[in-house]
Amino acid sequence: MAKTHDDFFVGYIRGVPRGSRALIILVILAFVGAMSGAGYFISATQPDPGPGRFFFQHKAFTGILETAPYPLVRVAPNETYPEGHTLLLAGQGKRGVQATAAALAGKVVDVGGVLLKRGTIDMLQVGRRVPLQASVDGLSDDAREAIDLSVTDLGTWRLTGEICDGKCYVGAMRPGTGIAHKACANLCLNGGVPAVFVSTAPVEGTEFFLLSDQNGNPIDKELQRFVAARVQVDGQIERRGDLMVFKVDLNSVEVL
Amino acid sequence: MSVKYTPVQWNPNKYVYDLVTLAGIVLYIVLFLKFAPMEIERSQQVNYPILRMRAFGTCAFLLLSIILCIGPLARLDKRFLPLLYNRRHLGVLTFAVALTHASYVIDWYYVFSPTDRYVALITSNVDYGQFLGFPFEAFGIFSLFVLLVLAVTSHDFWLKFFTPPFWKALHMMIYVGYASLVAHVLFGYMQGATDPIFPVLVLFFSATVLLLHIAAGKRETTADRSTTAMIEGDWVNVARLEDLEDEHGHVVPLPGGERIAIFRYDGKLSATSNACAHQNGPLGEGRIIDGCITCPWHGFQYRPEDGCAPTPFTEKIATYRLLLKDGDILVDPKPNPPGTHVDPVLIGESV
Repeated sequence: MAKTHDDFFVGYIRGVPRGSRALIILVILAFVGAMSGAGYFISATQPDPGPGRFFFQHKAFTGILETAPYPLVRVAPNETYPEGHTLLLAGQGKRGVQATAAALAGKVVDVGGVLLKRGTIDMLQVGRRVPLQASVDGLSDDAREAIDLSVTDLGTWRLTGEICDGKCYVGAMRPGTGIAHKACANLCLNGGVPAVFVSTAPVEGTEFFLLSDQNGNPIDKELQRFVAARVQVDGQIERRGDLMVFKVDLNSVEVL
Repeated sequence: MSVKYTPVQWNPNKYVYDLVTLAGIVLYIVLFLKFAPMEIERSQQVNYPILRMRAFGTCAFLLLSIILCIGPLARLDKRFLPLLYNRRHLGVLTFAVALTHASYVIDWYYVFSPTDRYVALITSNVDYGQFLGFPFEAFGIFSLFVLLVLAVTSHDFWLKFFTPPFWKALHMMIYVGYASLVAHVLFGYMQGATDPIFPVLVLFFSATVLLLHIAAGKRETTADRSTTAMIEGDWVNVARLEDLEDEHGHVVPLPGGERIAIFRYDGKLSATSNACAHQNGPLGEGRIIDGCITCPWHGFQYRPEDGCAPTPFTEKIATYRLLLKDGDILVDPKPNPPGTHVDPVLIGESV
């Protein structure tokens, strides 16, 4: 009489053999349970991306435009910023506003868009409703005087931290830091988005610095290979009104 | 087995296998995207597109790790063989999950830019000369390419088209793909990771995959060494008759390292190649069912006396000449061309 081979699995003939059944049921339960547990707990332990975010309400400002190292506006005191403020400027997506800003350097401008905020850094994503343009009404003498255009040299510092693109870091991406985000950050920097340095320790109360090279120009593409890594870098810190600028020495950068 | 190529030869076991796999994947993704974020306090939630790419990326890693554990587990304990039966569906689903991860990455990190997204993918992070910050994307692209090739060629049509040895060699690329995936995770996710669970799972699964393969390999080597083949002229003495269970196969290594399968059935003995023509499954671990050698992996069948699959099937394997001498089984180590008839040795007609 032929054997039944009940203990031998042939998928197209019969189900799981009796001798394997308990183990296979256990494997199925373990698989489904482990996938559920892993899905929940890996997600639950994702690091906090930080407090940066968009504020999706259109705002318009008037102030004095500067273009070095990146376009920024010294905003006169207003409803949003009673004491005035420096706003970094970026365009839509991974784009800067250098092309428009070039002709307006040093002039009083109107500019509108949506704000991104994180810590002491505020950025305006320039919109279409009030594009970056020469100011229609200009600034009153009082408003112009209220803008802090002072420049203070805070000396040479060695800082540890991360080079980021200013837009993703302040909330366009959550998180907008780290190695996984490096390619995105490089695309932003290539597009003209301001570069920022996020220090692990504050200097004069701030961890956020607008980056420039030693001559106050936008950072060189060479520096992009250090983007998103934890680096130590030397440079001169300059306070421009309420904005800190870190003029880095490219040769001093060291990946930690 | 089928003589015509159908997209999927469904049977109840495959339905259960695929449903369980899909249940695991769906639960993973839903819990990752919907439930965990709602219950976790953060100053701001992670962007949903980034959460999606993390969900599908981590899921693909876990699935591929599980796939690679199945083979050695089935070699170490035959009770795991039902997990191997439909493994290629799991592989295709893993590719789909990995592709979803990649498409979310490309459609988030590489868009909103003046540069074309695919150009940006290969040009925005190219510092291959550094260790920290190495462009880990390249490892991910390579792994995805391997998974694509394997998923596209997973159907039996391609196995026949390429021939089993080439197909098997092609599908061994999965190990290179997995190594590349581990590198993708190590150089990407892990370099900036501050969360505790996924990095631990990465280390656990990569170590488990490695250790299971070492254990399975060691076991087969030990089994080969324990079978002492003695050369007697042109013949090799490979086993004693009483070592062979009726209607079971018996794997024996030849001096050159080749493994053959000897079968005892209906008072006869026959020998064939140990490698199934389908996916190189170990025929010697199979059985004789309905008079045919039956592969333990996918149930492909061959007649023991000529190594031919029963009509209308066309697969063939090599056969070997046997001799029974005073209870010793001797084999001529020269394989016959696949499908060559060899008269079975009748037990009781010992030389």
